[in-house]
Amino acid sequence: MNSRILVVDDDTALAEMIGIVLRTEGFDPVFCEDGALAVDIFRSSKPDLVLLDLMLPGLDGIEVCSRIRAESGTPVIMLTAKSDTADVVKGLESGADDYMVKPFNPKELVARIKTRLRPASTVPAAEQLRIGDLVVDVAGHEVKRGDARINLTPLEFDLLLALASKPQQVFTREMLLEQVWGYHYKADTRLVNVHVQRLRAKVEQDPDNPKIVMTVRGVGYRAGAVT
Amino acid sequence: MRYRWMDGRWWRQLPSQLVGVWRRSLQVRTVAITLLLTGIAILVTGIYMALSISNDLYQSRLDQALRDSSRATTSAQSTLNASDVSASDSGKNLLNSTLQTVQGATSSRLIAAYRVPGQDVSIPAPPDRASPGLNGVISDELRQQVQNGGTKQFYQSVALPAGNGTTDPGIVVGTQLTLPSFGHYELYIGYNLRDSENTLLFVQGTLLLAGFALILLIGAITWVIVRFAVQPIRVAAETSERLAAGDLAVRIPEHGEDVFASLARSFNGMADSLQSQINQLATLSQLQQRFVSDVSHELRTPLTTIRLAGDVIYDQRESFPPATERTAELLHTQIERFDRLLSDLLEISRYDAGSVALDPEPTNLVRLADDVVDELRTLAEQNGSELRLDAPGGYFDVGMDPRRIRRVVRNLIGNAIEHGDGKPVVVTVDSNESAVALTVRDYGIGMSQQEVNHVFDRFWRADPSRKRTIGGTGLGLAISLEDATLHSGWLQVWSAPGAGSCFRLTLPRVSGKEIASSPLPLPPTDAGATDAAATGAAATDAAVIDGGARVHGHAADEQFTDRGARA
Repeated sequence: MNSRILVVDDDTALAEMIGIVLRTEGFDPVFCEDGALAVDIFRSSKPDLVLLDLMLPGLDGIEVCSRIRAESGTPVIMLTAKSDTADVVKGLESGADDYMVKPFNPKELVARIKTRLRPASTVPAAEQLRIGDLVVDVAGHEVKRGDARINLTPLEFDLLLALASKPQQVFTREMLLEQVWGYHYKADTRLVNVHVQRLRAKVEQDPDNPKIVMTVRGVGYRAGAVT
Repeated sequence: MRYRWMDGRWWRQLPSQLVGVWRRSLQVRTVAITLLLTGIAILVTGIYMALSISNDLYQSRLDQALRDSSRATTSAQSTLNASDVSASDSGKNLLNSTLQTVQGATSSRLIAAYRVPGQDVSIPAPPDRASPGLNGVISDELRQQVQNGGTKQFYQSVALPAGNGTTDPGIVVGTQLTLPSFGHYELYIGYNLRDSENTLLFVQGTLLLAGFALILLIGAITWVIVRFAVQPIRVAAETSERLAAGDLAVRIPEHGEDVFASLARSFNGMADSLQSQINQLATLSQLQQRFVSDVSHELRTPLTTIRLAGDVIYDQRESFPPATERTAELLHTQIERFDRLLSDLLEISRYDAGSVALDPEPTNLVRLADDVVDELRTLAEQNGSELRLDAPGGYFDVGMDPRRIRRVVRNLIGNAIEHGDGKPVVVTVDSNESAVALTVRDYGIGMSQQEVNHVFDRFWRADPSRKRTIGGTGLGLAISLEDATLHSGWLQVWSAPGAGSCFRLTLPRVSGKEIASSPLPLPPTDAGATDAAATGAAATDAAVIDGGARVHGHAADEQFTDRGARA
């Protein structure tokens, strides 16, 4: 079965072009031009991934992203003409898993889509991993603190899993980009920063005093000790 | 516990602190000068008053003494003259009774009588008599005067012994008395001036006290008045500071119509004008920023479609006839070029609008250089150049924006490979106490002085006809220079025709701090090591330009000596 991809962009020519590229790669594109209709179409078409332009008529792209994220963990890749840090961070914080700056290389777009859609790559030996005071159920894609379930998007889950599966390892941002996002070249490390912040906001009891995702200054991140 | 005053150094600091206070405080100066001048005036007045009072007191007391003594003497003399003296009366009794008369007539108890020497000694004259208080007090000059003076009065200021070893000031008045049958006698009457002196002391004391009080009072009044005068000036100074610090809405309240009010009005007018101009500029800058960002979005969206389309066609080019296939290739490369050019243009316009923000992160420059070298290694190999990294130093994290610096390094190494003529390209990283530096050295075609002067210009190319293998936009170095300047760093170049070029990027270790000197030398140490015979006097043609200095408007040869231009 082909993966369905929802393309939300008000520029019809671009949307069509993206559609052509996606079909060539074997994906099934669905289109939406208006931000206000985007969430409804998302619900009705149930895509496997969303390509979302930020500057939309109707409802702003950031708003659409937050609403989609509130309902589901479907991967969202932002498309934007703006590459300023503030704009990128805002978009990532609203729930996007990745972003691409226009104009982009179609091959790169396809590669990132495939990365987001791939099944869990490295299946660790253990079925349950511990990190800090959390229990990570690998097969069930669940994270629990005691009996309370914590809702994470697939990306956040992958990030946590990467850290938890090698508790002694310090992961640099580049390593995380490679492992979790599937990049194979030097890419923008802001992605990692923002997603670590989001992950911390969800799993840490005190986000200013992290015990689950620890920062190693000047190097990267590491799993917190098991308690 | 140590107090400041226990510290000996406090004493040494006192004079300089006082000088400092003097210089800084108008009030202190005014009050001090006022105190000084009024103090002198009061001192002069006071001294004059004290002196004249003292003179007056003395004079009146003297007159009183003289009158007193004259009266007593005259009365004694007339008594003596009127009495019936016979030779048989004892002179002593006569003298005693005379002295008693005198004592009755005068208020003083200090009386002395001496027989004028040189008279007939045959007569048994009464002996000399002196009150104990006058012992040794009467000087010889006075006696001389009285002896020769007849009936005239003579006086002298003396020091009369007082009770407890001290002396009181006094006056002794002397005249001649004629004792019938016994001859002439010197009669001395002493007057104690101690009470006058006490009065005088009292007056002096009061004057002194009043003088001090007056000085202090005047000082206080001056202080208050100067405060009133200085207050508006202080208000103006504080308001100016607040204005300069960024509070554009601050104003000085205008009261009244005096000179301070006109100062306030002028200041407020200036502040109004500044505020409106700054707001105008801010609005303009905002408009420009928005324009840049709108243009960015507007241009990029159709370009994305074009790019996607171009890529799809390019991927299928083999299925086209040869001409169309070639068209697809050209389309593909030119679209890429257009994309790069657009990005660079937008980047440059951001610098011009001042709307660039650094994202500093602690970054290891050696690692960054290593990454870029790895990225460009294949390109270098394609050009036949050996690409290597030497890093004697710089292995610690420095705050910098890694994206921008990566771009700069990529640009420098790319340029070096392109102009390297297949010769090695050496990247060096080093550090010193204030900075970290990276140089990219190639041994290729090099540049003349003329070319070096323009190398950082926008869209400038050394050799327009040169085949471009890497496909730059002409803005690479301009953007690199802006990035270096954003970091408060330097981007400089040395080059010599035929000897290659060396570009040096220097960044401060502490963001924003001024760099004292660069850890790597420019011109590089092997600058002279070229084939002099082939290129002729390569060293003298070496030209060095400081891109950063040019941008900031300093003279280019401020830091390096220009070793002469090629003829």
